[in-house]
Amino acid sequence: MSPILQGLITIVVGVGGCLGYFWLSNLLVDRVIFPARGPRIAQNIRRANAIRPWLFLLPAMLALGLYLVYPVIGSFIRSLYNRSGTEFIGLDNYSRLARSEDFRTAFLNNFLWVLVVPAASTFLGLVVAQLTDRLRWGSVAKSLIFMPMAISFVGASLIWKFVYTQDPDIGLLNAIRVGLGAAPLDPLQLPFWNNFFLMVILIWIQTGFAMVILSAALRGIPEETIEAAILDGANPFQVFFRIKVPQIMGTIVVVWTTITILVLKVFDIVYTMTGGNYGTEILPSYMMTFMFRDDGVATAVAFVIMLVVLPVMVWNIRQAHKEMR
Amino acid sequence: MNTRMLGSAAALALIAGASHAQDLRFPVGEGDFNWQSYEDFAAAHDFSGETLTLTGPWTGADAELVNSMLAYFAAATGAEVQYNGSESFEQDIVIATQANSAPNIAVFPQPGLAADLAARGALTPLAEGTGDWVLENYAAGQSWVDLGTYAGPEGDEALYGFFYKIDLKSLVWYSPEAFEEAGYDIPESMEDLHALTEQIVADGGTPWCIGLGSGAATGWPATDWVEDLMLRTQTPEVYDQWVTNEIPFDDPRIVNAIEEFGWFARNEDFVNGGTSAVASTDFRDSPQGLFSFPPECYMHRQASFIPTFFPDDADADFFYFPSYAEQDLGNPVLGAGTLFAITADSPAAQGLIAFLQTPLAHEVWMAQSGFLTPYGAVNTDLFASDTQRQMNEILLNATTFRFDASDLMPGEIGAGAFWTGMVDYVTGEDAQSVAEGIQARWDEIR
Amino acid sequence: MSGIAGRRSGLTWAVNLTVLALVILWLVPTVGLLISSFRDRDQIGETGWWLAALPVEQAYRTRAEGEARQEGDLWVIEGSLFDTAEAQSALGEARPGIARFGTSAREPGAQDAGTEAALRDGGTLRVEPDGQYRVTTPEEPDDRGQRIYFVAATAPALTLDNYRTVLGAAGMGRAFMNTLTVTIPATVIPIVIAAFAAFALAWMRFPGRGLLIAAVVGLLVVPLQLALVPLLNLHNRIGIGQSFVGIWLAHTGFGLPLAIYLLRNYMAGLPRDIIESARVDGASDFQIFRRIVLPLSFPALAAFGIFQFLWTWNDLLVAKVFLPSSGDAQVMTVKIADDLLGSRGGDWGILATAAFVSIAVPLVVFFTMQRFFVRGLLAGSVK
Repeated sequence: MSPILQGLITIVVGVGGCLGYFWLSNLLVDRVIFPARGPRIAQNIRRANAIRPWLFLLPAMLALGLYLVYPVIGSFIRSLYNRSGTEFIGLDNYSRLARSEDFRTAFLNNFLWVLVVPAASTFLGLVVAQLTDRLRWGSVAKSLIFMPMAISFVGASLIWKFVYTQDPDIGLLNAIRVGLGAAPLDPLQLPFWNNFFLMVILIWIQTGFAMVILSAALRGIPEETIEAAILDGANPFQVFFRIKVPQIMGTIVVVWTTITILVLKVFDIVYTMTGGNYGTEILPSYMMTFMFRDDGVATAVAFVIMLVVLPVMVWNIRQAHKEMR
Repeated sequence: MNTRMLGSAAALALIAGASHAQDLRFPVGEGDFNWQSYEDFAAAHDFSGETLTLTGPWTGADAELVNSMLAYFAAATGAEVQYNGSESFEQDIVIATQANSAPNIAVFPQPGLAADLAARGALTPLAEGTGDWVLENYAAGQSWVDLGTYAGPEGDEALYGFFYKIDLKSLVWYSPEAFEEAGYDIPESMEDLHALTEQIVADGGTPWCIGLGSGAATGWPATDWVEDLMLRTQTPEVYDQWVTNEIPFDDPRIVNAIEEFGWFARNEDFVNGGTSAVASTDFRDSPQGLFSFPPECYMHRQASFIPTFFPDDADADFFYFPSYAEQDLGNPVLGAGTLFAITADSPAAQGLIAFLQTPLAHEVWMAQSGFLTPYGAVNTDLFASDTQRQMNEILLNATTFRFDASDLMPGEIGAGAFWTGMVDYVTGEDAQSVAEGIQARWDEIR
Repeated sequence: MSGIAGRRSGLTWAVNLTVLALVILWLVPTVGLLISSFRDRDQIGETGWWLAALPVEQAYRTRAEGEARQEGDLWVIEGSLFDTAEAQSALGEARPGIARFGTSAREPGAQDAGTEAALRDGGTLRVEPDGQYRVTTPEEPDDRGQRIYFVAATAPALTLDNYRTVLGAAGMGRAFMNTLTVTIPATVIPIVIAAFAAFALAWMRFPGRGLLIAAVVGLLVVPLQLALVPLLNLHNRIGIGQSFVGIWLAHTGFGLPLAIYLLRNYMAGLPRDIIESARVDGASDFQIFRRIVLPLSFPALAAFGIFQFLWTWNDLLVAKVFLPSSGDAQVMTVKIADDLLGSRGGDWGILATAAFVSIAVPLVVFFTMQRFFVRGLLAGSVK
């Protein structure tokens, strides 16, 4: 069988099986187990409706449970054991981290990343979404700004090497510096600021994401509210900040949260650009230095990462609760 | 007898089918290869119908080379051989052993990782007598046995690794024509090398190209420098104790070796692009400076593999990274090597280890490129170039041979703290505090 | 009235210019990569990509060749630099104009072409811009010939060689098919599963709903590196091992929290009255989902679909762990990272090409899909 055919069949089976489950299970509940007819029709409908959410949720819960909850619990237990996983050492891995200077650097840098990257990406995304909204070539502009999203992190790191490299015959930034009469330097070796040069890469990638979601939200704003404001004499800036932004606040929060979470997972950029040297280590790449060597410490770092986002998570959960009421 | 054997080997190669019908690079029976060893091996082993899987760090051209050697094994035994190389071999093999999906044989570039896996019970000890064979047939056999012997899961020591393909590290590459034009002589001692370095600066040139960049592994080339300088300032015994951390990393003797490296790498005038370029230049790009006009640098210290990254038809040669005339330490040589270990036992896997003990297995690769071997029985006329032959001579004539220390240290140090420590050092931190930082990491993992 | 119009057109200009500036800023790095992927290694090292369209001045070296003849008390060798062996191997058939020349590697361009340089032994060397040279020496020269360095501006050479190398690498076609086989189900399956779950979490009432939403939000942040090894062990135990099924399941599991989170947020924002009135009309939850919520959620589904596609297409880590490492199951990222970059690590041209090849399909998909994507966005605007 040719690989193409094989691929097609597996695709049909996989996707079809998934859709078939939802259709068949609903059919089963509605027609066979609790048919909406006969003497106990009211009770049957009630029961069917009580069961249906769980039918809808079952595959997702199974997948989440197996692929995320189970490893998380397993990992937490692992983080309480020593290097080879043979001896229970309680919280020693965590206290070891607390004592490590590298870890503190990674932690502080990560804090910077979480502050800067989501804020910058969301802000730029919002600006682009608004500016291109009524532009004739807006969709072209949007596509071009979205493009970095299509690039793998490793590819992106390579792209930015052509910007940052110290050799002014390869790195654009240093070519400009030399053109202005300054000596070339390696931006990734500048203490403290190098973190920001690395963040620029992720902002460059994520602005497209923010832009796409936010421009959908902007289009969703009812025209009447905007027209009313314009009639009241509001200038474009007032319309944007007083009318539009508050209305899409929910979406902004979603985008912000999503990027925050991404920031806490992406190790590739730091890993390939500086290998964590020159004081640019962040927690995910710090974790990679322990992966497959000392899984106890690696998992402990992972849990610290989860603790870092806890406030964002709690806030999101509260928000979700509020909406439901 | 011979012809019959050849016939059967050829027939086997045909039967075994397309999956390994890779042409044998050198026709059996032609040239000065030890064909007798091949025929004897073919007569004694038959693995028809078996599949042997291997994984290792060699990709691209290197993968072709190892396949050309494995093709002879396939032809001799009828086994089907599949080699898969990976850039991230270290990570992949750990995943594979944890998932019980390991291939039959893994080729380790670092004894440290092999020792780790042996302790977890992921490796099978080599057949009895393999150790004795290495002792008898390899130059400095004892050191190769020691480097391949690890503690198993129960703590009992056994020989797990068979070394095949050695790299030589104590080499300085240069362009003979650039040297000739400028009137420089090959330095015979470390003192001469220092003098030459200063001479080049006085002449308005830049002596060294040093590049430590290697993605996530940035810093490793500097560890080779420090190791070489350790061997040139301290006795081999001190080196061994350093490797096992019996002497702490922040001992003055080690700090001194780091500072010896700093003499070269931390002087703005001595290195191409200045010291900030040292840390960021990719080690593969770094030697290009030797071959530009005007020369961006005159010397580049790197292992025997580096010509792969030279431009085509580069005018390059090497000299031995010299030792101090005033110190009585002989001519120490730093090297590294890859070792074959069995990750999933099978008769064919054992068979391959036996095949590696035939001179032919070494000759096939050495007749092509980039291969050095401590095996005394090979026909050294077969080396593809004089350069390689000279390197092999350095290897065989070494008064002291020591294995790359960073490969022997625990992963967190040898492939972690030592690398990043060296980057910190070349970018300005002082040697003492770098060494203390590395020692602190080492204390943590004990 | 005209004042407002004037202000408006001024603002339009400002907007146009700002967007243009942003787009250029965003494009420049990628353009650099694209241009570099068409240049050969030597030229990349010699001048920046922004100068790719200009000739590159490079220094070459060669030796005077040919028989020396006697002219008076001098020995003379004449010829064209381009006919010498070393120049031939470096330049091939190209005949660039020679700007400067020299006799030592230190100063390969010490003299302007068309002038005469003094040699150390009392002789002279003269090189014309068209490559004609003339060496004179007071004594009969030895066989090695005088070293001549020259600086020539070679025309910008844009080549497809890098693409040939990358695309011609054995198994690239197979890797491409494998990537598609991984990507499509790994994109569609999580969307389907997440859409149902998100609907349940947004619009159905049942006990424990709040807790489940909290759990999904909490799971968003699980670093997936953490899950790789335990899951691989699990796959081995239940007999899936390293296979396509395994990687689909893995991508599904890892993509679900974000999918559910995004879709639930979107669906929860749909107008309540539409759904309530459908309920009142007696539509079942399944019908509401299929007829109302799903079509209205198209933009969110499309958006997540694109993200999940890009994510699985560019994934390296998950593929390495959940697919066997043998050649017939390699996906493109693995092929490029492990096979190509390893042997060509120092070659910027090849690296650039490999990166571009791997992003080409996501770009094509995005640009062809974006029509539907934008339409979806418009359709989704509830007014």
